[in-house]
Amino acid sequence: MPDAHRIVTRRDMFAAAGLAAGALTVDGARAAAPAVSVPTAPVSVAKIASYDQDLVAQFQQMFDEIGGIGHLVRGKTVAMKVNLTGASGRGRHVGLTAGQTSWVHPNVVGALTAVFAKQGARRIRILESTFRKNYGAPLEDTLLNDGWDVAGIKSAGPLVEFEDTNGLGQAKQYSVLKVKSRPYIFPAFSLNHSYEDCDFFVSVAKMKNHEELGITLSMKNLFGITPELLYGLAPKPPGASPWVRERVFHYGQVPPPAGVPQEIDPSSDRYEGWRMPRLLTDLCGARPIDLAVLDGIETIIGGEGTGMPGTKHAKPGLLVVGRNCVCTDAVAAATMGYNPRAGRHEAPFRLYKNPKGHPPEQLVPPGETQQYADNTMLMGEGAGIGTADLSRIDLRGVPIKDAMYDYEAHWKGQAPV
Amino acid sequence: MADGRKGLLLIGLLASVASIPAQLRAGAGKPEGWVPIRWDGGPLEVSRRAKDTALAGRPAQREAIGRWYDPATLDLLRGTPLNCILVTLSAGADPELEERQHLLVREYARVARQRGIAVLGIVHPGSSPVKAAIAAAGAGLDGLVLDGDFSEESKFMAALESALREQNSEALVIPIARHASSVGMADTTPAIADPPPLAPLAVAGVRPSARDLADMGIRAGASAEPWIESNIWMVRFLRFQSGRRPIWIDQQPNPSAAGDYIRCVADAAVAGGRWMVSLDDDLRMRLYQRDAAALATWQRIASYLRFAEDHADWRGFQPYGNVGVLFDAAAQDAEFADEYLNLVARRQVPYRLIPRSSLRPAALAGFRAVLAPTLAPPTETERKILRDFAEQGGLLVTGPAWGNPPKDDPYAEVPTGKGRVAVYREDPPDPGDLARDLLELLPPEVMGLSVFNVPSTISYASTTASGKSVLIQLLNYAGTPSVRVTVRFNGIFKTARLYTPENPPAELAARATADGRTEVAIPRLEAWAALILE
Repeated sequence: MPDAHRIVTRRDMFAAAGLAAGALTVDGARAAAPAVSVPTAPVSVAKIASYDQDLVAQFQQMFDEIGGIGHLVRGKTVAMKVNLTGASGRGRHVGLTAGQTSWVHPNVVGALTAVFAKQGARRIRILESTFRKNYGAPLEDTLLNDGWDVAGIKSAGPLVEFEDTNGLGQAKQYSVLKVKSRPYIFPAFSLNHSYEDCDFFVSVAKMKNHEELGITLSMKNLFGITPELLYGLAPKPPGASPWVRERVFHYGQVPPPAGVPQEIDPSSDRYEGWRMPRLLTDLCGARPIDLAVLDGIETIIGGEGTGMPGTKHAKPGLLVVGRNCVCTDAVAAATMGYNPRAGRHEAPFRLYKNPKGHPPEQLVPPGETQQYADNTMLMGEGAGIGTADLSRIDLRGVPIKDAMYDYEAHWKGQAPV
Repeated sequence: MADGRKGLLLIGLLASVASIPAQLRAGAGKPEGWVPIRWDGGPLEVSRRAKDTALAGRPAQREAIGRWYDPATLDLLRGTPLNCILVTLSAGADPELEERQHLLVREYARVARQRGIAVLGIVHPGSSPVKAAIAAAGAGLDGLVLDGDFSEESKFMAALESALREQNSEALVIPIARHASSVGMADTTPAIADPPPLAPLAVAGVRPSARDLADMGIRAGASAEPWIESNIWMVRFLRFQSGRRPIWIDQQPNPSAAGDYIRCVADAAVAGGRWMVSLDDDLRMRLYQRDAAALATWQRIASYLRFAEDHADWRGFQPYGNVGVLFDAAAQDAEFADEYLNLVARRQVPYRLIPRSSLRPAALAGFRAVLAPTLAPPTETERKILRDFAEQGGLLVTGPAWGNPPKDDPYAEVPTGKGRVAVYREDPPDPGDLARDLLELLPPEVMGLSVFNVPSTISYASTTASGKSVLIQLLNYAGTPSVRVTVRFNGIFKTARLYTPENPPAELAARATADGRTEVAIPRLEAWAALILE
């Protein structure tokens, strides 16, 4: 099916020149491996039956498998951006915690905190941007909403801090972080100070499907570092999305407020399936991920939030860890049964776009619900962040074929239970 | 006035007239102390349900129900708080069958009364009021319960009352109101030292449960909570309206699940009502056969009923809330107005009710926010009272009739004096949206109570008149326990004691927070827990 949206921009061509032109093929065919080298790093995969296992020992082993992190965190400030989709803790399947479905599990975060502390981290900070606006509750309260043992996590290291990064937080001004990879949409972002005030940055994400992007992994997790309280300062025009991040980032309906870095080309495509993979890549370029940790021990399949019809609780039993976010996400995608080099209209990037939940202009031609997203991993590859080519990634731990949990098959009820 | 409310208004009036001398209740206790269970049975019940294909296909169940008025079934009640049985009395069936049932009930009721059990006869549509009254009087029944859709219920009730008087029976007449939106009648009994007992107010409730919105085909946001069906708000509302009258909730839970049964008990009891215990056919059959698993389920139900009755003093606690919900008993769209009470409770926002007829400046003292979404249109006097409330620092949440609603946004916050007015665009505002927005509009200290990790739970806070004791009840509607529930409440309290039906009372650590609140961590919430702060 030919794409109704604009397919390849000059900027795409420029960014992809000699790197990952195959990722942007017009017909949505699978991308060929990049012609020239982009960074690669080892990725470790483990099969974990339960959150009650000794995750501290597990992470230590996996970190050893990817070359160790002690030398990187010793005496340093480590910041973990944890994936708390919805960021209230109230979004649940009945009888399940958010940590079992749409959030990273507290045992994962607790174990990581303990490992970083053991490896000599001076300060460990746990970060996420919540949606609360008027009466910003501390991040710890959000975590209590899912029954996290906040006191226990605090005691896992010498100095453990929490900060809600949806606004200024503890700082008096926002930090402007420039995109250090090849930028697609934004040259820089204004962010909470926490993303600058750290020496070692960890993206701790859940392995899930995603309504608009197909899958959400360590790169997608960085969408939550954007502060709504800043980007929402511009007045909302009539008819624009009520959600700040959607109107500024997903659809580009309004520019960021004055004083905040603006889009490179405000006339670029407004389709979210085109914008978001590029925007996420820009975010990963602005705040590079030093360590990607993917929690797929338990999760939901079929969407990123529990409110989506058809989502199912699942126990893939997976942990994936790596130093390069593109490489790590590529391996994780493979363990989920997806081709990490898949193109538009291939799983998981062929999408049903719910007409009730999206502006009409997002459905092109009008009313068409069969849409796509570009492959974020290939965007990252195109920007020079890392390779999504499995043949170039040093796999450690459990082989992909033994670790694989086919999300599509389980979602459709085709996989054996 | 909505039809449902009109109907119940009349029903309530008639029922409240039927107050009875306490001395006539010897052995059965006063209606205030009745703990009811539906005990439908006998050949008339089997005949009445002849078209029930599920029962028709299960001869053992049919037999158990048909023989239910074997006095041995009364042994099941021994050791439980249940002291009021509702037996099948009349259904307008074949006269011979009706007569046989009446004789059976007469003998069964005699044995029950000897054991101190009150007996109420269930009257179904199609019955003759005169024959039902004669049967009730003959069996010395304590009351009659009207169950079903009577085409002209108020006429039927009047005829029944008249026939009972002719038989010199002082049996109460208790109609089961069919609609959850119904409103109870106020207790108009003068404040005297030993007031006469009042007929319970029985209302059909919902089946307590928690479900995923996605499973209901609803696409919701990532932070959407499960959908909880609960009667807590309705019991609160009816108790507020009806004064001393006992509130009974009538509904049948999912079959054969002990968890559902205990939740039904708790759901009615949290705010001071009682569930008209109703067992499914399979459980009844197995109880009749004295099946061990069924008896264990029965004992679990009894333990929850006992817990509720052991703490009957909690019914005397007053609802807590810095948020007032202004309601209009004569509102055109009663069900819509009720939904605010339901959904605000579901968002864990403690509130107290303010009748529109009582709206005075003094009535708003002690409130920090007032919800008046359906006050359309407010009178000039009401408008002034509410504006003054906002100007003095309160938050008023209201609909577009207030004036200047936003054109695009769902609501606009308008600074007013020292306070604010939140004006909604929609008329009336969507109850679900409004309830959700309250979490943004109200700072925690105005909410007073904050409860964490309770997506499938409803909380209800109440206090003694002095405010020195606070009771926070939590009811978990999910089938699995919640682990690490955290409760914060305004003020510093020295002790925190947790009461549950499963375990003896436990002292928990009460931690004072920097902002003048008390925090308590509850390690595990099975179904029903009550935390008392002092």
